[in-house]
Amino acid sequence: MKRKNLTIAIVFLAALTAAVACKKEAPPAPAPVAVPAAPAAVSVADITLGSSLNADKTVVAVGTTFKSTDTIYASVKTNGTSSGATLAAKWTYQDGQTIHDESVSIAPTGPTVTEFHINKVDGWPTGKYKVEISLNGAVAGSRELEVK
Amino acid sequence: MGIFGDDKPKPKADFSNVTGGVSSTAPPPATVIPVPAPVQTYTVVSGDSLSKIAKHFYGKASLWPKIFEANKDQIKNPDLIKVGQTLRIPNLDADTK
Repeated sequence: MKRKNLTIAIVFLAALTAAVACKKEAPPAPAPVAVPAAPAAVSVADITLGSSLNADKTVVAVGTTFKSTDTIYASVKTNGTSSGATLAAKWTYQDGQTIHDESVSIAPTGPTVTEFHINKVDGWPTGKYKVEISLNGAVAGSRELEVK
Repeated sequence: MGIFGDDKPKPKADFSNVTGGVSSTAPPPATVIPVPAPVQTYTVVSGDSLSKIAKHFYGKASLWPKIFEANKDQIKNPDLIKVGQTLRIPNLDADTK
């Protein structure tokens, strides 16, 4: 009987040892590495027209109708970042004539405002005009205006 | 004047005196200023000539005038260089190579 008890004890002990040995903890999952979000590429957020500018290059009063003697401003808001982007404005008259082209290289690190303006010393002919804004050669938006 | 009134085409609007401009709150892209490669120097030893030095640095003895031009402040006669003189060895332009 004593022998039987001893055998049971040995078997129990062996089983217990095996259970402990098998309870090896799985290695902890690697902590997630914080990947900084890639900066958003620059994009045109808004184009507004006006006849005068604020210090931050936004237009004082948004409008699309101008007087013959006005300087016409197009204020372009951009978002995103870039180490080098080209923003361009192409102004055209209703008959298709390109009346002025302008471009600027920018390296925005956040929201920015760029203003393009045109002026004509002897006054604008009445009619409809358009300004087309391009970013890196691709049209990003346009606005129509009228001189009365 | 024609039957239907003045049929002359309307003159195109003249925009030749339009002026314009642009300004931005965004900074301009950084400009990369090329850094000129450092100029090598060579100290003349006995038996040297400009052609020999040119051959050593450029592989062509005929390019000795490059070294002469770069050292006109200390070489008056290209056939006469002195032992111990430190000569500037200019980098060759891409078109000279």
